[in-house]
Amino acid sequence: MSYYLQVATFICISGILGLSVYLVLSTGQLTLGNAGFMLLGGYTAGLLAIRLGWPIWLTVPAGGLLAAVVAVPLGAATLRLRGVYLAIATLGFTQSLVVIANNLTITGGALGLKDIPNLAARLQRFLRGVLAEAPLGLTMAQFANLLVLLISAALLGLAYWLIVRQGKSRVGRAFTAIRTDEVAASAMGINTTYYKVLAFAQGAFLAGVAGGMMAHLTYFIGPNDFGFSRAVEMLVFVVVGGTAVPAGPVLGAALLRALSEYLREAKDLRLIVYGGLMMLMVLVRPQGLLTPGMFAGWRRRLGLGPRRPAPGKGAGA
Amino acid sequence: MFLQQLLNGLTQGGTYALIAIGYTLIFGVLEIINMAHGEVFMIGAMVGYALVMLLGWGLVPALLGGMIGAALLGAVLEFTALRALRRKGVSNLAPLISTIGLGMVLQNLMIRFAGAEPLPFRVPLSSGVLKLGPLQATATQLVVLGVSLVLMILLQWTLSRTGLGRAVRAVSENAETAALLGVNVSGIVLATVMLASALGGAAGVLVGVSFVSVSAVMGLGYGLKGLAVIILGGLGNVSGAVAGGLLIGVLEAMTVAYGEAFSGYKDAVAFIFLFLILVVRPQGLFGQNAAVTRRS
Repeated sequence: MSYYLQVATFICISGILGLSVYLVLSTGQLTLGNAGFMLLGGYTAGLLAIRLGWPIWLTVPAGGLLAAVVAVPLGAATLRLRGVYLAIATLGFTQSLVVIANNLTITGGALGLKDIPNLAARLQRFLRGVLAEAPLGLTMAQFANLLVLLISAALLGLAYWLIVRQGKSRVGRAFTAIRTDEVAASAMGINTTYYKVLAFAQGAFLAGVAGGMMAHLTYFIGPNDFGFSRAVEMLVFVVVGGTAVPAGPVLGAALLRALSEYLREAKDLRLIVYGGLMMLMVLVRPQGLLTPGMFAGWRRRLGLGPRRPAPGKGAGA
Repeated sequence: MFLQQLLNGLTQGGTYALIAIGYTLIFGVLEIINMAHGEVFMIGAMVGYALVMLLGWGLVPALLGGMIGAALLGAVLEFTALRALRRKGVSNLAPLISTIGLGMVLQNLMIRFAGAEPLPFRVPLSSGVLKLGPLQATATQLVVLGVSLVLMILLQWTLSRTGLGRAVRAVSENAETAALLGVNVSGIVLATVMLASALGGAAGVLVGVSFVSVSAVMGLGYGLKGLAVIILGGLGNVSGAVAGGLLIGVLEAMTVAYGEAFSGYKDAVAFIFLFLILVVRPQGLFGQNAAVTRRS
């Protein structure tokens, strides 16, 4: 029971990570830097909790904020460059942070951060003080895990809702315009650098929050949790789930997380499957499983929303 | 001391340059970054390892074997991850994603096959040391540096003096025009990808020789270094890749020698320069192409 709750919790965190890559991709940029931002968020949250004793509801947003603050100058410096440059520069950023975390004393070097306050354990202790026994016929530990899942799901839901809202706003239309044709968008008076940095920083914030949650869900984080494989994993969520609708990365995260639990014993096998899926999806279905056209189609069939044909296919990856 | 570190740096830098040339050649003809190149490098090293340690062959056949193995893998790469995408005319991020995927598959297949631990790679080489005044050069260093230089000179000659080289340059300049003039573009692309991969494979064997070990996970770090080098040298620029590779190698050696407190950060040196260059001179130290800020 607790095991399934934990898997579901990690699916929610992965969904947030997928959304963080999706945001940047929705301006037509491919980032491999969100693993680095996740590292920043995770270590910030962990250190604030261990060293300064901050409560978890403060450390997680602090991690996200720090990641976003770092993302602004980094994005401003690299986003005026072409797509390939951004992918390389952000990969370099991630890898540099891994090297730094491996060498600093405060981050615990290669051994990582240990004894990070655990969200479920904290909740459990708090609940024991308030309730005589857990409701719903669960044990206290299970109930605490259930609450952790609900918190993670709420964070994912909030991020999803904000992204959908933003997508329908001036900002979202600017993102789409930039993804479709950056030069044309610029000619229409859209400040492309501003919007690209905005998406980059938003993505960094989400990745930082996910990193902070990750730190408080496990007792331990190490530098190698946030390297190249992590960066690629987030990208796979989007590539498989869908690059042009926010539901895509969430679906991708759920499917691939479930799959990787199934392949839990063999980490290398899981990565082989991820790699193969990336090659296959790009070739067979470059927009991912979910596409905007499908959504418009379903809405029409259900008699919801405007009765007009689906908007033109986005650029996708 | 300084000269000694310079030599050590150049030896290491030579292998970086070979890797970087691979990226830059492919970028030249296809305008894409082959993210699987680091793993091609690793497979080259592994083929060399198998020939020396399992079959007892010498250095030269191992080097040739590594290059041939990597070149064949390059052909696989071209047919599985690149050609089909070109035909469909998808966005410029697609080949980035598909080559990342292929790299992931190659690395983890190798981990399944050979484990992730380093494997000892001992090539029968003289253990003699050449002394030139204060300089000491081991036989290994001389071989690595010498082979890298010879390969680079051969490549330069191929590109500038042969029909194949002329065709490669024509396709880099403008593929459509080259096709109109009767160049077999897809053949040239295949040849370029195989050539680039062969150089990567040679670099893999040389790195294995100089560190006396190979591993299934060696591709990632070196692949990233190579990426930093081509940004430093300017994308698509072969001489820039050579100069950038040697420069990064020397800078790393100096960091370790003169900044002992920072020696753990050796692997970050390349990326610090990468950022500086991207901010100050995004076309690279030696690039003239002012259009890097344009979206391709």
